[in-house]
Amino acid sequence: MFSLEPTGRLKAAFLGTALATAAIGPFTSTALAQANDALVIEAGRIVIDSETEIEDGVLVIEGGRIAKVGKRSEVEVPWDAQVLGGPEFTAFPGFVEAYSARGMDRANESIDVAPFLDVQDSIDPINVYFQDCLRWGITSINVQQGADCVIGGRGRLVKPVGITIDQMTVRPHFGLVLSADPKRGKSRATQAQALRESFSELHRYLEDLVGSAREDADLARREAKAQGRELEGEDAEGRAFKSAATWSVDGLELVPRGAIDEKQAPLLDLVEGRTPAFIHCGGPHDVHIAIDVARENGFLERTTLVLQPACWKAADVIVEAGVDVVHTGSLIHRETDPVTGDETETFVLDVYRDKGISFSLSSQNSSTTSLWYQAARAIGHGLTRAQAIDSVTIAPARALGLEAHVGSLQTGRLGNVVLFSGDPLATTTWVEHVIVEGEHVYDRSKDPRNRILIEGEDPFDNLRTDG
Amino acid sequence: MALGFLSTFAATSAATLVLVGNAPTTGALSTQQDDGPRTSWTVTADAIYTATGTVIENGFVRVSDGEITAVGRGKIKGDFHVAAITPGLVEASSGVTIGPESVEQDSESTPHISVEEGLDLFSTRWARELSGGVTTTMVSPLDRNVLGGLPVVLKTGGGEPTMDDRVLRTGVGVRACMGSEPSSGNSPVFGRAFGIFNRRPTTRMGVEWVFRRTFYDALRARKDADFTFEGVETVYQVLDGELPLIVRASPRLDIITALGLKQEFSIPNVVIDGAAEVLPEEEAIVASGVSLILAPLTFDGNTGADRAYMAWNTPARMAERGVTFALSGGSSRNDDLGLALQPGHAMRGGLAADAALAAVTIVPARMLGVDDRVGSIEQGKHADLVFWSGAPFQYTSSITGVMVSGELAVDPRHGEEL
Repeated sequence: MFSLEPTGRLKAAFLGTALATAAIGPFTSTALAQANDALVIEAGRIVIDSETEIEDGVLVIEGGRIAKVGKRSEVEVPWDAQVLGGPEFTAFPGFVEAYSARGMDRANESIDVAPFLDVQDSIDPINVYFQDCLRWGITSINVQQGADCVIGGRGRLVKPVGITIDQMTVRPHFGLVLSADPKRGKSRATQAQALRESFSELHRYLEDLVGSAREDADLARREAKAQGRELEGEDAEGRAFKSAATWSVDGLELVPRGAIDEKQAPLLDLVEGRTPAFIHCGGPHDVHIAIDVARENGFLERTTLVLQPACWKAADVIVEAGVDVVHTGSLIHRETDPVTGDETETFVLDVYRDKGISFSLSSQNSSTTSLWYQAARAIGHGLTRAQAIDSVTIAPARALGLEAHVGSLQTGRLGNVVLFSGDPLATTTWVEHVIVEGEHVYDRSKDPRNRILIEGEDPFDNLRTDG
Repeated sequence: MALGFLSTFAATSAATLVLVGNAPTTGALSTQQDDGPRTSWTVTADAIYTATGTVIENGFVRVSDGEITAVGRGKIKGDFHVAAITPGLVEASSGVTIGPESVEQDSESTPHISVEEGLDLFSTRWARELSGGVTTTMVSPLDRNVLGGLPVVLKTGGGEPTMDDRVLRTGVGVRACMGSEPSSGNSPVFGRAFGIFNRRPTTRMGVEWVFRRTFYDALRARKDADFTFEGVETVYQVLDGELPLIVRASPRLDIITALGLKQEFSIPNVVIDGAAEVLPEEEAIVASGVSLILAPLTFDGNTGADRAYMAWNTPARMAERGVTFALSGGSSRNDDLGLALQPGHAMRGGLAADAALAAVTIVPARMLGVDDRVGSIEQGKHADLVFWSGAPFQYTSSITGVMVSGELAVDPRHGEEL
C-alpha cells in the first residue's frame, strides 16, 4: 500500500519549505498499512442521511466502503481494526461539491471552444483549495473549468486526497462545461451563436467523415498509420450515431471511433449522452439558451445547470426542462429598483424548493470553501434541516450520478465520513476528522494552518531561525 | 434551539432573572397612534437577550412612543410573538462610509471638520443597514486623511430623516488613520505635477509624520500665543482626554505605531478601529489600556484591511485578557460579513455567547457614549430591537424583523396578523 507519510529523504525535502509541510502534514496521519485494513468509526450520533440518524452508533468501513452501520450494541466490529471517534462526535456523510472551478492552475482558457483539454492537466494537488475541502469536510469534488468559456475542457471527479492527479481521481474524463453566460468580450447573441455553431460544426464534421469513409473505407486506418498510431480495439470500430438530438448522422458506423478528431470526440460523447454537461447561466435570460442547446443536441437528460442567483426568475423554464441545478453565489438575490432605489430580496432556494427543482449548493460564494456553512445559512433563511442537508449531500450526488457511492452513510457507499465535534450545522462545531474511502486523512489537532486561523499561533515558530 | 443557546449564557438561571417592569394585568393591545407610523407595541418572545447580563425566557417587551417602557417575564398577549429578541445592533466601526465627499482633502490633517454636514439621510444604505439589524452606527470621515475629522453616531432609521431625529451624538472622538490608506493614490512629485493627488503623505512614515507634526504643533501652540492652526482646539481635546482618538490600524506595524503615538503624546483615550493583527501585540495592547473595534472576522482570516490577518480566537483572547472590544461588520453588501453574523464567527473562535452579544450592542454603545439611550433592552431606552427566527447569531437563525425607535422597519409578522 502506498504511504503518504513523509519519511526519510522525502521528509527532509518537505522540511525545506515550511509550506509544503503544512500542505501535507496533517492530511496523512494514518495512511500506513494496518494489519486489518478495516476502520471502525464510533460516534454519539451518526447522520446517515437527512432522514435517518443513529444514536450511539458504529460504522465499519472495509475495502474503502461502508460494510456495516448501526447501533453499537448491534454491530459486530472486527477485533483488530483501527478505531476512530467516540461518543462526543457526530458522524456525517462527506460533503459533495456538485461543481467547482477551483484547485486548478487557472480555471479558464483563452480559447472559446476547448473540449480537447482536460482539467487533469490543470489540477494542482497541493493547491490550498483541496486542503480547505478537507478542513470543511468536502470529500467529493466535481472539478470543471470555469464559466469564462463557450465550451470548456473535460472535467474530473476527485477526492481531496493524494499528491498526484491519479491518487485524487475518482472518475476521469467526467463531464464538460458549457456556458450560456457570455465569455469575456462576447455579447449574449454571439455567445449563443458560438454555442450552437459548435454543434453544427460537429454535425458537418461527422457528415464529412462519413462521406470520406464511403469514398474510401480504409482512409481512417491508413491516416492513423501515417501518424504513427494503430487503431485498436474500440477505436477501430464504428458505431451508429445514437442520440436524442434533433439531428442525426447516417452511416457513422462506417467511421472508426478512433478516427474522430480530439476536438470533436468530447462533443460527440455529449451528444450521445456518454458524459454529463454542466452549463453556466449568469442570469435568467441565459437559461433558455442553455436548455435549447442541450435539447437540440440531445443531452438535456444529462444536463445540470450551474446558476447565478438571478436565475431563479427562470424557474418555470427549469421545471419544464426537468434538469437539476447547482446554486452558486449568494443565497439571497437582491434587486434595486432603478427609479425608486428600493431593494427587494429573494431567498433563491425558496423558489427552487417550491417549484420542485432539485438543487445543490456550491461553496463558490463569499464563505469560500464551506458547504456546511451554506447549509446552515440556508436553514436560517427558511429551508428545513432535511432540505439543507440534502442540498449538500444526496442532491449533488444525484446530480453527478453518484448516489450509489456518495452522499449518505448507508451500507455499500464509499467510506467518506466527517466527524464533527457536535451538531454538524451548529455555529461552534468544527470538523475534527475526515475519512475518505476508509482512510483517515484529516485530523484537526494536527492541522497547522488551522492553528494559525483559529488559535492565532505560528506553528512554524520553532522551525525558524533568526534572520 | 433558543434554549440550547441559553445554556451557553453566563447568567441564565431562572433564579437570577431580573424583572424590569411588571407584566400588564390586562391583555390589552398597545394603542395605535393617530398619525405617523405606529411606535407602541407589546412583543412577546421565547427568549429576550437584554445585553445587561440577563436572558428572560418567555418574556415580553412593551414599547410606548418609541421607548421601552417595560421588560419582563410572563405569558401575556402581545401584538406579535417572536422566537428571540436582542437589542438593535450597534456598529462602532464606520460601517457606512459616505464616499470621497465625506473627508475634506484640502489638507491631510483636518481634525476639526465634522462629517455631520456631509451626511445624506435620504440614502438607501440606511435601510440596508437596518435590515441587517444595525440600528445605531457611527459614520466616520473616509480614511484618506491622517486626521480625518469628527465622526457622528446616528440611528439608521426611525422618525424623520432629519439630524434632530437621527443623530445621537457628535463629538464622539477624532478619526485618525495609520497605514497605507491616507497615502494610497498620492503620487510623489516626479509623477504628475498638479492635482490633489500630489498632496502628502505618500508613504507610511509620511502618515506618521503628519500625525506627529499636528500634535507637536498643538503642543507648541499651547505655549506660544503667536502660533496656532486650524483645528488646534480639537487636538487639545484629544490631548486632554476629552475626545477619544479613534485611530484606524489593522496590521501589526500600524498597531505598534498607534500605540507608540499614544505613548509619545500621552493621549489618554484611544480606540483602535479595524484592529486585526492584535494577538502578536497582545501584551502591548493590554498594557496600553486602549479599546478595540475589531476588524470583521472572515472565513480565511484575511480581513482585507491593509492585508491584515485576524485569527478566529482574537475576540475570545481579548475577552480573556480583559480588553474592551467591539465587533464590527464588513461590507453590508456581503451578508456573511455583516455585523449580525460576526458574533457567531467570534463564538466559533471561542468567545462566550454573552460576551459576543455585548460586543455588538452595549459595549460599542458605551464606546460611542450613547449607552444611556441604546445598546440594551432596558426601561427608558430607545425601542431598538432585532427579532430572530431562533437563537441569535447561530448560523441556522436569521433576522426576521427590526424595530427602530418603536417603528417596525422590517416587519416580522409576514402578514400573519396585522
